[in-house]
Amino acid sequence: MAEPNNRPNISPAQFRGGPGGPMGRPGGPGGPRGPRGMPLVVEKPKDARKTIGRLLKYIGKNKYLLISMLVIVIFSSALTLLAPTLQGEAIDAITITEQKLSVDFKRLMLLLVALLVVYLSSSLLTYIQMRISIKLSQSTVHTMRADLFAKLEHLPIKYFDTHKHGDIMSRMTNDVENISNTVSTSISSLFSGALTITGCLVVMLIRSPLLTLVSLVTIPLTILVSTKLSKFMRKLFIKQQALLGSLNGHIEENVTGYKTLAAFSREQECNKEFANISNELKSCGVKANAIGGVMGPLMNVIGNLNFLLIAAFGGYLAFNGLITVGIIQAFLSYSKQFTRPINELAHQYAAILTAIAGADRVFAVMDNPPEADEGTTSLDIDNLRGDLSFKDVVFSYKEGEPVLKGFNLEVKGGQKIAIVGATGAGKTTVVNLLTRFYDIDSGSISLDGVDITDIPKDQLRKCISIVLQDTILFSGTIAENIRYGKLDASDEDIARAAAISNSDVFIEKLPDGYNSLLSESGGNLSQGQRQLLSIARAALADPKILILDEATSSVDTRTEMHIQNAMIELMKGRTSLIIAHRLSTIRDADKIIVIDGGVIVEEGGHEELLAKKGRYYSLYQSQFAGIAT
Amino acid sequence: MKLAKYIKPYWFFALLSPLCMLGEVLIDLFQPKLMSTIVNDGVLGNNMSLILTTGLTMLGLVILGGISGASASGFASAASQNFGNDLRKDVFSKVMSLSFQQTDKFTTGSLVTRLTNDVTMVQDFVAQALRMFIRAPITFVGGIVMALSLNVNFGIVLICALPIQLAILAFLLWKASPMFSIVQKKLDKVNSVMQENVTGARTVKSFRREEYEKGRFGAANDDLVNTNMKVQKLLSSISPMLMIVMNLSIIAIIYIGGFQTEARNMQAGDVMAAVTYITQILMSLMMVGMMFQSISRARASAARILEVLNTEPVIQSGEYRNNNTKCSVELKNVSFSYPGHTGTPTLDGVDFTVQSGERVAILGATGSGKTSLVNLIPRFYDCTDGEVLFNGTNVKEYDLNDLRSKIGFALQKSELFTGTIADNIRWGLPDATDEEVVAAAKIAQADDFITSFGDGYNTVIGEKGSSLSGGQKQRLSIARAIIKKPAVLIFDDSCSALDLGTESRLQKALAENFTDTAVITIAQRIASVMNADRIYVLENGKIAACGTHEELLRNSKIYADIYDSQMKSNKKGGEING
Repeated sequence: MAEPNNRPNISPAQFRGGPGGPMGRPGGPGGPRGPRGMPLVVEKPKDARKTIGRLLKYIGKNKYLLISMLVIVIFSSALTLLAPTLQGEAIDAITITEQKLSVDFKRLMLLLVALLVVYLSSSLLTYIQMRISIKLSQSTVHTMRADLFAKLEHLPIKYFDTHKHGDIMSRMTNDVENISNTVSTSISSLFSGALTITGCLVVMLIRSPLLTLVSLVTIPLTILVSTKLSKFMRKLFIKQQALLGSLNGHIEENVTGYKTLAAFSREQECNKEFANISNELKSCGVKANAIGGVMGPLMNVIGNLNFLLIAAFGGYLAFNGLITVGIIQAFLSYSKQFTRPINELAHQYAAILTAIAGADRVFAVMDNPPEADEGTTSLDIDNLRGDLSFKDVVFSYKEGEPVLKGFNLEVKGGQKIAIVGATGAGKTTVVNLLTRFYDIDSGSISLDGVDITDIPKDQLRKCISIVLQDTILFSGTIAENIRYGKLDASDEDIARAAAISNSDVFIEKLPDGYNSLLSESGGNLSQGQRQLLSIARAALADPKILILDEATSSVDTRTEMHIQNAMIELMKGRTSLIIAHRLSTIRDADKIIVIDGGVIVEEGGHEELLAKKGRYYSLYQSQFAGIAT
Repeated sequence: MKLAKYIKPYWFFALLSPLCMLGEVLIDLFQPKLMSTIVNDGVLGNNMSLILTTGLTMLGLVILGGISGASASGFASAASQNFGNDLRKDVFSKVMSLSFQQTDKFTTGSLVTRLTNDVTMVQDFVAQALRMFIRAPITFVGGIVMALSLNVNFGIVLICALPIQLAILAFLLWKASPMFSIVQKKLDKVNSVMQENVTGARTVKSFRREEYEKGRFGAANDDLVNTNMKVQKLLSSISPMLMIVMNLSIIAIIYIGGFQTEARNMQAGDVMAAVTYITQILMSLMMVGMMFQSISRARASAARILEVLNTEPVIQSGEYRNNNTKCSVELKNVSFSYPGHTGTPTLDGVDFTVQSGERVAILGATGSGKTSLVNLIPRFYDCTDGEVLFNGTNVKEYDLNDLRSKIGFALQKSELFTGTIADNIRWGLPDATDEEVVAAAKIAQADDFITSFGDGYNTVIGEKGSSLSGGQKQRLSIARAIIKKPAVLIFDDSCSALDLGTESRLQKALAENFTDTAVITIAQRIASVMNADRIYVLENGKIAACGTHEELLRNSKIYADIYDSQMKSNKKGGEING
């Protein structure tokens, strides 16, 4: 599935240096490296509060759900407080004392009925609250995933060329999934926790400010411990998610490249590399989760310390007659109430940190600037001439190593231009620039006299169809893949497009014809057949400008001959750029340009260039050399 | 569960974890008693020293409990992470051992999900189970025993309540568990769309299908979220329903307690204690509920993992090995159809042979079966009929590694991997010296462009080779194939992006350096094959003709056609020489 080429001579430095961006460039200076010297993309721990804030904003998108949940939490918290009181009264009712010699069954029944009502409504509220939190978490991840995908669709090609595909996928699934799990479990406990703490605090303040102060003594301790621990742990959890991403990357790369792997019997090495990443992930996970497990007990200890402080200090105060024993007793139960939500959160700590680490990775993708698309000049696509003009175009994938150095080319609408030159001369770069997969450093490219940066990308690309050397087909049927060129095409349109590329011959031989399912690796189609399909797809799109980048390299020459007439027909009235090695494909071009060293060294017609006995002539001769000897 | 064997090596951790947990649970049970001592005797009795001594004892115990709790989760995490790690590695090496048709069937997206998400699910379950297996039963049984010991009449309540609760639990989980595997399947779909878009970004962009793809992804996303929601909703009714039953029991207990106190059989304090125990039983039941929930979730994931683990590679390695450095290949009356493919076979009664030192070429129309033919030699697929002989021995009898190590294969699609250029060339021969790498690159005509890079052989290749041109990628994959000096070299149309000049230099270098090697070349260009010792012309899966260039020109209409298709256009140029 290798993508072609941001052509040539890109030295690795392109991937090393460059503006850092929030992504932490693979192999960035000093960046941690995974096994096999593979760059490990570890996001720098960002401000956790910022990440949480952004996460909350996402959750907050469902305002009504959030508010209704809050309201329900308030009620159910109240009910949770009410139930024990009623229970206590009921127990009182059945208590036999010296003053009260028989059970007051009337009162007991009344209390029990009240208790029943409270219990039932509390269960109901819990149920509703759970439903809401599920809805909240699921719709949060739904939006998040959709946003992330939408973002990906608009990221520049460069992003995909420089990031591990499996890692990107891991952000979409593993990281988002972690967020979802945490949102559904932690949000409501955070809510009720905050509610309980504030409630307790208010009541405590009213009853005894002094004792309140004492019970707050442990708060700084709690904060100190949790921030110290979390700083340390966050790094581990971030690393864990990054390793998971890199594991994903390894799997994706090796499963897609499986054929090569098998051909070289590399399974053992590949297993070893996998084991290295997997082992590292394991030790990171053990560390992270083991330390995460300390949090709960630690908070428990602090809570008990708090209990003891209140008891001791309260006892001392009571001894001096400053407060009553009842107040101490009350405070002791408050302190239990107070520490319960903190403990609960502490137990979810590892999960929360994992979610935050995941959110960091998700937001890192979202923070990438999208493809520049600032053009506003509308094109009259129906009446486009298709004139192309490259003026003094300079372009480099890596700063300081230009691939095109002052490239000039004028193409009249409807002309057929062949681009030739040694591999790596920059032919595909011309395509990358015209479609604005990459943007030029200086100079200008214009379509019908309009600078392409002034044209909205959607319009620009609507005018252009490219057929790439490495054919990308999508899962689905053959018809669906051809229809990709024009979504509202009829079956007849599709058959016609297939006929142009001569692919109808083999399609009709398949048992299911146009409805044959393509397997993922395309095992059921040969490479040449796949190329023919992608020509059909491009033909269906009916573009003003057609680019064929080695489009028939795997197609045999007789089939190519077959489709040649159809192709000539197809190119009629369109501006065509053809990159090919076969002279037969380019011989009929209106103009042949020879690229070398990033500039055009020769241009002209076939005969004209041959007569010139220059670069084209020697290229042409080298083709013959193979035949002559 | 069959995956249990993966926990075995870590039984020590797996045992220590619940034991430590036991410590924590016991201290947890003890702590309320100390607290009440502090309150009742210390604070109410105004006994400062009692507060301090009991308090410090309590604190000490809590610290002890905390330590054992922390170690319990530490051990649990060690056991579960090691378990997950071993499982993951095994599944991955299983995937690596599968045959093409099988990995194809699973799809990349699904394999990625199974190896990460599903393994994590099972691993989390192990961690959770280790932490809860002790806690839940102890509190559960302890609660029941304590409640019964207070008054046998409470037993009636329990006898009524417990079966109802278990029934609710069983019913909901029974409903939910098949849905978990559906959720995972939907996750696969999300992953697959994602993968297609990431790898096919150029195609999506050039056809401006961003919105269409968003729709496609949206559908997969909706599907996943909706299914997830359904499961979760079902599960969300578990705890409220258990709560209702339990709360009704509490009411019943207070009611019965009323009669009991009236009859002076027990005191109100005992009723209160009973209520506490019932609450404890409820909590442990909830835990059991959660446990079963993760069991069924983990079961779905485990099934998906086992599906991979239980897949036996269709292509099984034989045992035969030999040390020949010269090898011949022969296909005898071979037929082949892709698995699941009906209709005309891809290859039909093919006879083909190449001896050591020979140069053989295969020519034929798109889809005529050229790639399929050479794929049979390293056993990427097995032929359906006839036999493929390697040095006279059927390839099926060969040790697969030995067989493939004798073959150098430059694939049609040059797949490059993460790492430097040198790393990629070294794929063919992991312990190759730098000199060998350079030598291979020189033969493959790759040295020139590699050294033109700032970092030369240490240049890091972009994702999937995106930083290289098609021809550059092909030359690297040729270098990779020839570095180990294989006995048989197969070029599957792997020079298509090279200009003829480069190709002829490559051929010359090959001829000089690989005199004993059997070379099989698939090509489209006559110029690439005309010097071969023998040319096979494939047509619709059959050998239509075979011979040298000159022979074929005379005898084979198809070959002459192909020749014409390439020469005519050149002749028009008026420049053909002879």
